[in-house]
Amino acid sequence: MTSRERTYRIEGIIIRRRNIGEADSIFTIFSNTQGKIDAVARSIRKPRSKMRGHLETMVQSSLFVARGRSLDILTQAQTIDSYQEIRGNLEKSAAALYCFELVDLFVEKGEPLPELYRGLKQFLEVLKATSSPLSVRYFELYLLNLLGYEVRVFECVVCDSRLPEQTALLVPEAGGLVCGNCRLNTGPGRLIPVPIIKLFRFAARVSLENYVTIRVTEENLNLLRLATIDLIRYHLEREPKSQYFLENLPPPPQKP
Amino acid sequence: MNSFSGVPEPLTRLINELSKLPGIGPKSAQRLAFHLLRSSEETTKALVIAVEDMKKQVDLCSICFHITDKDPCQLCQDEERDESVLCVVEQALDVIVLERTGQYRGRYHVLQGVLNPMEGIGPEDLRISELLQRVQSGNIGEVIMATNPSLEGESTAMYVQRLLTPHGVRITRLARGLPSGADLEYTDEITLAHAFEGRQTF
Ligand SMILES: [Zn+2]
Ligand SMILES: [Zn+2]
Repeated sequence: MTSRERTYRIEGIIIRRRNIGEADSIFTIFSNTQGKIDAVARSIRKPRSKMRGHLETMVQSSLFVARGRSLDILTQAQTIDSYQEIRGNLEKSAAALYCFELVDLFVEKGEPLPELYRGLKQFLEVLKATSSPLSVRYFELYLLNLLGYEVRVFECVVCDSRLPEQTALLVPEAGGLVCGNCRLNTGPGRLIPVPIIKLFRFAARVSLENYVTIRVTEENLNLLRLATIDLIRYHLEREPKSQYFLENLPPPPQKP
Repeated sequence: MNSFSGVPEPLTRLINELSKLPGIGPKSAQRLAFHLLRSSEETTKALVIAVEDMKKQVDLCSICFHITDKDPCQLCQDEERDESVLCVVEQALDVIVLERTGQYRGRYHVLQGVLNPMEGIGPEDLRISELLQRVQSGNIGEVIMATNPSLEGESTAMYVQRLLTPHGVRITRLARGLPSGADLEYTDEITLAHAFEGRQTF
């Protein structure tokens, strides 16, 4: 392409940062119009850098980017939101980082995904206000669905009949839940009791704002977590690195 | 790696090694290599020996994990320094920067990194359990978290705070005078001194 602009402007959320050389950093940005891009900011770690403070993991910024030969170069950055409410909370920070890693692992560079961008922004907006672990589960299912890895939870993926109010088998390989009759003919899976099936169905039907208000027992929360992680692991063929951190935080100090 | 036509292999190898150093591009590496080529045998030998000695003799202090050539390090042995205050930093370079301010007269603990979940760097990769042991066994009254004001630095500070709080120690954080995203390494001494004075209970 010869008509490509030398510089372009995007709005994006910085999902990853790697420091290179003496004072440079490479940022992975998930943007509204260009999808996921990598771009370098020169001398960003020096005190005089004007972009410092506007370029940091978990900052939503308005950015000017110049096309480079091997790597695009960030030339201007202006913070839109630095998500202080999330930064100041260990659980929320860990949850946001986990979802950033999901985006980083699932999304190819340069593929515009404006809807996923809105979804990620929405997720961060909700995360500011809530500590419900359901937000992460919702985002996992939302992301899978949007990227074409739909999880079928209303009908049996084998015989297409509506699932009865019974425990079903979640078979990631088959793309969803399997009824009792078809169970023997499918790959390995995890038994999913009715309350968890309902949580899967809600996620497909309601908004994130509503989803996080659902009251769930610790036990069901854990079962849902194991189920969505099965799905993520199946599609990625590994576990996101930040998952272990998210799941093994020390308990918050008890307020007297 | 790169090979240059007309350049003897050992020289190419040196250029490649030098260009791996921070802040050294291929051009600077080439310049340095040619400079060394022209230098006297004495000069180059001194450089080689200095690098070797540094690798052999500089190790981590078994108490604070700062770099040192004797164990425990000078800072840990200095009786004039307040044993009851610990300043927790990410890397050895931060100790050097903070020492330059002349403001701080307590002891240090170098974590040897920050939590970075996406890169798979967890608490077990840092000197966090050693910090916990120091707090549990010593008469430490205050722990100052001086990790960088980056997302990773903040998370690390919050994580450490959670582990230390049950042990009844006062935990403080360097004042917010430090601009977000700044590296301690590049922050000027006056700003750092203010950050120390204005530290607040976490
Ligand atoms: Zn069936
Ligand atoms: Zn020491």
